[in-house]
Amino acid sequence: MNNQEHETDVLVIGGGIAGTFAAIKAREAGAAEVVQVDKASVGRSGCSAFAAGVIQAFSPDEDDREDCFREAVIKSHFLCDQEKLEDHLDDSADRIKEMDSLGVEFVKTAQGKLQRQVGRGKFTSIMFHGGYQMMEAMRRAASRTGVKLVDRVMIVDLLTDGGRIAGAIGFNTDSGEVHEFMAKSVVLAAGRTWLKTRRPGHRNLSGDGIAAAYRAGLTLTGFDSGGVNTGPAMYDIGPGNNMYMGSGATLVNADGERFVEKYDPVLKERTELHTLSAACAIEAKRGKTPLYLDMTHIEPEKVRLMRRVIPSPMMMWERAGVLAGDRFTRKIEWVTEGPSVRGGLLVNRRYETTLPGLFACGDAMPSSGTWGQNALAGAMTSGARAGKHAAEYAREVSPPEADAEQISELKRQMLEPLLRKDGIEPDQVLLSLQEAVMPYDVWTLRSEERMSRALKEIESIWRDQVPLLKAYDPHYLRMAVEARNLALVSLLLLKSSLFRQESRETAREDYPYMDNINWLKWVTVKKEGEQISTSAVEVPLHRYKLKPEKGKDLHPIWRVAERQGIIRIEGERVKWA
Amino acid sequence: MGVRKIDVARCTGCSICVEYCPMDVLKMDGKSQKAFIKYLRDCQGCFLCERVCPENAVYCVPVYERRIPLPW
Ligand SMILES: Cc1cc2nc3c(=O)[nH]c(=O)nc-3n(C[C@H](O)[C@H](O)[C@H](O)COP(=O)(O)OP(=O)(O)OC[C@H]3O[C@@H](n4cnc5c(N)ncnc54)[C@H](O)[C@@H]3O)c2cc1C
Ligand code: SF4
Ligand code: SF4
Repeated sequence: MNNQEHETDVLVIGGGIAGTFAAIKAREAGAAEVVQVDKASVGRSGCSAFAAGVIQAFSPDEDDREDCFREAVIKSHFLCDQEKLEDHLDDSADRIKEMDSLGVEFVKTAQGKLQRQVGRGKFTSIMFHGGYQMMEAMRRAASRTGVKLVDRVMIVDLLTDGGRIAGAIGFNTDSGEVHEFMAKSVVLAAGRTWLKTRRPGHRNLSGDGIAAAYRAGLTLTGFDSGGVNTGPAMYDIGPGNNMYMGSGATLVNADGERFVEKYDPVLKERTELHTLSAACAIEAKRGKTPLYLDMTHIEPEKVRLMRRVIPSPMMMWERAGVLAGDRFTRKIEWVTEGPSVRGGLLVNRRYETTLPGLFACGDAMPSSGTWGQNALAGAMTSGARAGKHAAEYAREVSPPEADAEQISELKRQMLEPLLRKDGIEPDQVLLSLQEAVMPYDVWTLRSEERMSRALKEIESIWRDQVPLLKAYDPHYLRMAVEARNLALVSLLLLKSSLFRQESRETAREDYPYMDNINWLKWVTVKKEGEQISTSAVEVPLHRYKLKPEKGKDLHPIWRVAERQGIIRIEGERVKWA
Repeated sequence: MGVRKIDVARCTGCSICVEYCPMDVLKMDGKSQKAFIKYLRDCQGCFLCERVCPENAVYCVPVYERRIPLPW
């Protein structure tokens, strides 16, 4: 197969909002050449292009900074990086202003101010006309700034030169042509990992950047955090939960009871995702399914706003016969959905990873990275900073040396599934992984026994199926590489989740306490030979403004469940009533 | 399922849907010079192709193509 070689100052991998801001800022910071590569098309893939129209962006005019700061830290259960959070709050409003001037269409009041509305959590959000419009404007802005866009090239591995980054290697998913990129610095912005599960908009994200970084020996963190959401059981429709909940949607169990308010009497269904998902999972454990999302009472005016902010999902509801005109016509069966992996590359305050010259931003970082959550706001601010720092780094160093042996070995491994005559379909691997990880009592309500069983299954998929993945053509090669990466990330998930022996973001039945004495730590993973080495780094709270009370408390979810008589605690374990 | 059909009578072969599809599901047919659904199983059901087609030639449905396990 043919080779295409590229040389650049800064290479940006990923065309979401983080990568696009990184590319634009790298150019603005003086990088002569910036190449941005996407396995689909820049601005038309990833979570950003399908985002559900809301940004929880801090506004110095509207919000109380200290209050926002405290809320973000508490929501992250004290795991978020408080220094980066300060930087994020410094930058947020400027990034929104820039997006406005670059052509992103925000919902505005008659006076031309950004309109705000409640959604998930305590703070209000601003709204825009869907991810597609936002990212079209950002793609055009990147082109105008002189960023060279390379579409349909899937990056598979990182290239290194001694102890620094040298570039990346991938292939064109249409022609199969191999692309080698040599770069002085690289920004990894390839998003996070989803297991191609329920709801559209994220099935193009298979942890490729994370897996490439792991293979290159970088330190990663945050895979113990059980990213979850909720969604329709039967319809392939999404996203939009923030708008639904903000507009007054309610969740009821099989008895018609509004159960979420037991866990969060103030925010109710607008509660943060971990609480919402755990509440749903507990209802399942109690046999109170099916659960339903009810939007039939939402006023026509709010439905019309939803049509502007989440146009695609609203089209889908209409086509499913659930939305007619300005009204939802029936309740929708609702389930937990996940995992939406929240792990990523460990970065310092300059967004530099443990490999010099390699920067990471947006969802390629752990959710603890900026803002305590993976969302547009943090992706914008981290992307812009990462791009600027990558340009500064590139200015200081000479071009890297290509390591011919490394390139040829990575190329061989990358193309191997194409050579296999008999082998396993990527779909088979995918379904096996989903069946191991998706059950609510593996991922949302956890125990060592169930997670160990899932880990064993994934280890056998990794050992017996992944080496046999077969590809018929470059499209299937993409699917095969994605399946391999998803299997690897699933291993990181379960290893990390087993390692954290407490309940924090996610509730464990065998460790029901939130343990601020031993577990104010980030769980890290790294490749050691062929093994995954897991360890923990203290969150540097001594440097941070907000510090939690030292102590060990029953996790809030379990506290409510205990009060309700759903569980009791016996011998430091949860027993179901 | 996601993408359900491309109406060949309406398709002018502008290839916009092919350029936008994030999952490489759609391709141009060399002979007819029209878009066609090549890798249906990998469609992520995002409706982007339908939204960008200038000729209203694409029709999508919110139905799963694959079996995705339920959490309970
Ligand atoms: C459906 C959905 C809706 C959401 N809605 C909202 C919302 O309304 N508000 C909010 O604040 N947050 C929302 N979120 C979260 C938010 O969208 C993300 O946190 C944010 O978009 C992340 O941006 P990013 O640039 O880091 O990654 P992404 O936007 O995911 O971009 C990653 C890019 O990398 C590319 N890529 C991946 N692998 C490779 C590879 N191997 N080679 C080359 N390129 C690759 C992808 O094609 C993609 O373009 C939503 C998330 C999802 C999934
Ligand atoms: S966008 Fe519409 S008209 Fe253009 S190729 Fe696709 S289906 Fe045909
Ligand atoms: S619905 Fe989305 S993934 Fe499916 S063919 Fe259309 S653009 Fe591609």
